[in-house]
Amino acid sequence: MNRLFDKTTEGLAASINFRLMRNNITAANIANAETPNYKAKKVDFEKALSRALDIEGLSQASTSHADHQAVGADGVSGVRVDVYDNPEGNLSNDKNTVDLEKEMAKLAENTILYKAALQLINKKLGALKYAATNGGR
Amino acid sequence: MDFSSALRVSSSGLTAQRTRMNTISSNIANINTTRTDEGGPYRRKDVVFEAIPDGKTFGDVLTALPERNLNRVQVTDIIPDRKAPILKYEPNHPDADEKGYVAYPNINLMAEMTNMIQATRAYEANISAMQSSKDMAMSALEIGR
Repeated sequence: MNRLFDKTTEGLAASINFRLMRNNITAANIANAETPNYKAKKVDFEKALSRALDIEGLSQASTSHADHQAVGADGVSGVRVDVYDNPEGNLSNDKNTVDLEKEMAKLAENTILYKAALQLINKKLGALKYAATNGGR
Repeated sequence: MDFSSALRVSSSGLTAQRTRMNTISSNIANINTTRTDEGGPYRRKDVVFEAIPDGKTFGDVLTALPERNLNRVQVTDIIPDRKAPILKYEPNHPDADEKGYVAYPNINLMAEMTNMIQATRAYEANISAMQSSKDMAMSALEIGR
């Protein structure tokens, strides 16, 4: 490893950013739960992030030759979040597609996973600190 | 996209639902009102919600995809109901017409109460959303501690 912060930390940092975005979009959906014609928005990043983190090892396999082109994305910083109108919502009389219960559940889940990612980052930083302080001595 | 925009969006929801609640209260309070400034009985009021993109500038709204999808809610208008008033035969009432009928507001108390519960629930949902945004922001402050 040639960097202070490895791929996992980068991935965690990206994921808390995306989770913040999902939190904001979900909050917007909840705020607009009664707005006529409003379409519930959805944030997608999991697949793009796992591709960028190259969990399946695709980009290593694909660049064994100088002429090969990498299949994987250009690192975590290149991940683009997809925000789109959620096609799953039921249409109500006022053409609003927000499902309040689903949004609340999504919000709770998102907060928990956000905090989980934060804890992992803190563990990573704790390990660095431990090493930097010469094993706590 | 930051924490403040989540709080801004949630608080816009709170404001909108409170305005709606005030309107409903006004409808219930005036269920028997026969005199108003514009003349005639009180007319039931209804709020109009509108989703407004929450970008800081026009450029933000135009270019950034997440910002374009982040919508505040706003009460753009409060419209009077156009339903005909209910006529009651009360010849002794000072607002009775020449045939002895008094025009009362056409307000359905049950519908108003239902709307009120709905507004309360939506308000609470926004509070929860705000709470979890705040929670996230507070735990983010703990990074590296």
